Amino acid sequence: MSNKAVGRKTSGLDKALRVALYTVLIVVAAFYLMPFIVMLLTSLKDVEEIRTGTLLSLPASLNFDSWSKAWSSACTGGSCGGISPYFMNSFQIVLPAVAISTLVGALNGYVISLWKFRGSDFFFAAMLVGCFIPFQVILLPMAQTLGWLGIANTTSGLVFVHVVYGIAFTTLFFRNFYQSIPGELVKAARLDGAGFFTIFYRIILPVSTPIIVVTVIWQFTQIWNDFLFGVAFSGFDTQPVTVALNNLVNTSFGGKEYNVDMAAAIIAALPTLAVYVFAGKYFVRGLTAGAVKG
Amino acid sequence: MANLVIDNVKKRYGETEILKGINISIKTGEFLILVGPSGCGKSTLMNSIAGLEDVSEGRILIADKDVTYTSPKDRDIAMVFQSYALYPNMTVEQNISFGLEMRKVPKEERDVEVQRVAELLQISHLLDRKPAQLSGGQRQRVAMGRALARRPQLYLFDEPLSNLDAKLRVEMRTEIKKLHKKLGTTIVYVTHDQIEAMTLADRIAVMKDGQVQQLGTPQEIYDNPANLFVAGFMGSPAMNFIPANVVEQDGTPMLELATSTTVALPFPKPESLKDYVGKTVLLGLRPEMITEPQPHKEGQPFVTTTDIEVEVTEPMGADTMILTRVNDAEINCRSNPMYPAAAGSVIKMMFDTSKAVVFDQESGKRLDV
Repeated sequence: MSNKAVGRKTSGLDKALRVALYTVLIVVAAFYLMPFIVMLLTSLKDVEEIRTGTLLSLPASLNFDSWSKAWSSACTGGSCGGISPYFMNSFQIVLPAVAISTLVGALNGYVISLWKFRGSDFFFAAMLVGCFIPFQVILLPMAQTLGWLGIANTTSGLVFVHVVYGIAFTTLFFRNFYQSIPGELVKAARLDGAGFFTIFYRIILPVSTPIIVVTVIWQFTQIWNDFLFGVAFSGFDTQPVTVALNNLVNTSFGGKEYNVDMAAAIIAALPTLAVYVFAGKYFVRGLTAGAVKG
Repeated sequence: MANLVIDNVKKRYGETEILKGINISIKTGEFLILVGPSGCGKSTLMNSIAGLEDVSEGRILIADKDVTYTSPKDRDIAMVFQSYALYPNMTVEQNISFGLEMRKVPKEERDVEVQRVAELLQISHLLDRKPAQLSGGQRQRVAMGRALARRPQLYLFDEPLSNLDAKLRVEMRTEIKKLHKKLGTTIVYVTHDQIEAMTLADRIAVMKDGQVQQLGTPQEIYDNPANLFVAGFMGSPAMNFIPANVVEQDGTPMLELATSTTVALPFPKPESLKDYVGKTVLLGLRPEMITEPQPHKEGQPFVTTTDIEVEVTEPMGADTMILTRVNDAEINCRSNPMYPAAAGSVIKMMFDTSKAVVFDQESGKRLDV
């Protein structure tokens, strides 16, 4: 009796339902993957194959010509050096912008949560409003500001824009995370003789790994994928890869090279993909960290 | 080590006054306990002593030095927090030595100090662990170790035992007391547990509504409460408060007690009741002063034996608490467990009023002082 109770009996109906469940899941997963599969397949075909075959037909041979063309010799607007220079531009924008906005957000969150001052709640509320400002609204004033600062059309200018726009989000993330840190920790450190930055650096930052990862992923994705700021505030030499991709697709000498377009698009998406693959585990953990405390 | 003077300290948040002029001074090596119900301002006072909160008025002196506007780190005090507040990213050793490191003590001296403290608190085997790997009692020890390592002038304990289970709490209580005897440090200790206050303190400050209701030794506060609040707060089970009419017998005011019969109890200071003849006062009588008839007390002044009706009994092992009604108030009596007292029966009990106190019914003011 008791032995039987351990293993659950599976009837034919149970099995059928299970098969149905997995079938549905696989179909849905395939459906979501479809655009990427089509992109990948198309990038591996040559122009002739694309014209004659269907969307999903497999390439005759593995042909990476379109990838190398997209990387180093495709024409984007006026120049024909592929998207690689712009790919590097993007890194030059993204890395400092992510680093600065994350650090400032951490400091802001630290102050708002653990060094409350008169009006700190209002300050936070005001910060929060920043999360709801649409991109389009700040285009003109930001162009003015960049002009005054003398960093219009430069990489520094774009870094500045992304830092300013990102701080609202990063502050929100860190503030919420630091809310769960007991204030007594800071009090204890103050009595131990540590100052504002020592406490931040020695005690608060070391326990912030989950939220740092979340913020970095968020900011990296946002800034890497940004098109509007990139197109509005970059110069000819400082365009990010998203703008270059757009130019590449819209530049037509002769026929449309869908395979090159697709290869360029995949290349442009690779860094964010990589970030998700390597840090995705922490992302989910960090997002739920505030909810379950610890 | 140092003395501490709190001189007319007031603290306001906008319109609300949290501390309404606190005056406390303790000598070097004294163990002061701030006790009171939650919201009485004891934690605010503690934070003010530490410098974590500014005071609105008044002065705080440590070792005769005015530190009212000194920053926390320069006051040379250490604090043990209710949540222990151990740095989660550091090992026990790093936790203990952090304060020394911040004060630029060389590494070798820090190591020596950590060893000393760890041996004192018997946590040497835990030095490499992180706080998350420790039990509640061990964390408590580490938190104390962190305070001890710096050898500050003044120790502050903010409800350090309230997160421990009952058994561990009693153990740690004893240990804190031993530690204090051994090191002779000046300690200010906040608690809402009156037993902790009684057992640990050299002196107790009972607080309520931002005011010190009474400052005195545990025995003074127990025997001689300044008012109804202090009398009711200290002692477990609590003091019995019996509304009693003051009647005059042969020119001496007595307190009338109606059980199954009516008797008049003598009072040690009858003159303080003169103005209250014909009125009702609150008679405060500790449970242990109402017992089974004890032959050796027979015939002593202020001892009255009368009948009571037992409502409920609560055997506690060493004693049995007997609940009864007197003058329409429920009261607790402490009797020998051997004394037969069945619920519903009428038994003889001895009321010893030699340590009784009386309060004004309205204001709660002590009348016999």
